[in-house]
Amino acid sequence: MATLTIGCFSSLVGSTSLDIAVKLAKAAREKGHDVNVWVSGNGTMLSKKGQRAFKDYSFLAKTVEGLIADGAQVTACEACAEARGYHKEDTMENFKRHSMDWYLAKCVGSDKVLHIGGE
Amino acid sequence: MKLGVILTEQARTESTYERLQAEKLSVVLAGNGIYHAVLKTDGKPSNVLDKAADFYVLTEDMETRGFTAGDLVDGKIKPIDMSQLVDLIMVEHDKFVWL
Repeated sequence: MATLTIGCFSSLVGSTSLDIAVKLAKAAREKGHDVNVWVSGNGTMLSKKGQRAFKDYSFLAKTVEGLIADGAQVTACEACAEARGYHKEDTMENFKRHSMDWYLAKCVGSDKVLHIGGE
Repeated sequence: MKLGVILTEQARTESTYERLQAEKLSVVLAGNGIYHAVLKTDGKPSNVLDKAADFYVLTEDMETRGFTAGDLVDGKIKPIDMSQLVDLIMVEHDKFVWL
């Protein structure tokens, strides 16, 4: 088994990239790979606790909770989150917050990296 | 190099895709990129499919948009699920890029 790091800058609004990224991370974990997920820019909305599910609207919070419980490391860019008003107390439980150094270190230490730019 | 591409947009203005070259090239049509696999314009399939590559389409994204494998415009496009995409990324290619 190997390590996959996925970095995503896109939010769920106006893009399906974040949706694909999270589902890909889940599939990789199910196949036994180690998985790191980094969200930056508008993608930091994924870290916000209290997300509400709507019919016909992608809802990733439960999948992310499962990913974290299953051992995936899921981290938001702290500066991007703070700039958007998502503070530590607003963050989903066990969803990490770090500087971009974390993402760089994970990229260097991974077998495969999938970097998804912003919308 | 064995290179994979995930293409997620239907309307594209950049030429990165056209310039990509690799010993082995695979293109995964995902998100709105699936429209390249199921729609024709003026009776012609998308020129995305002109590339010398192995083509895949993410079944989940195709079905989300109301299409099935029966709608594929070219027999060379292989439907795959997320688990198969993981294998393409982790096992079968050296690098994967997202366009």
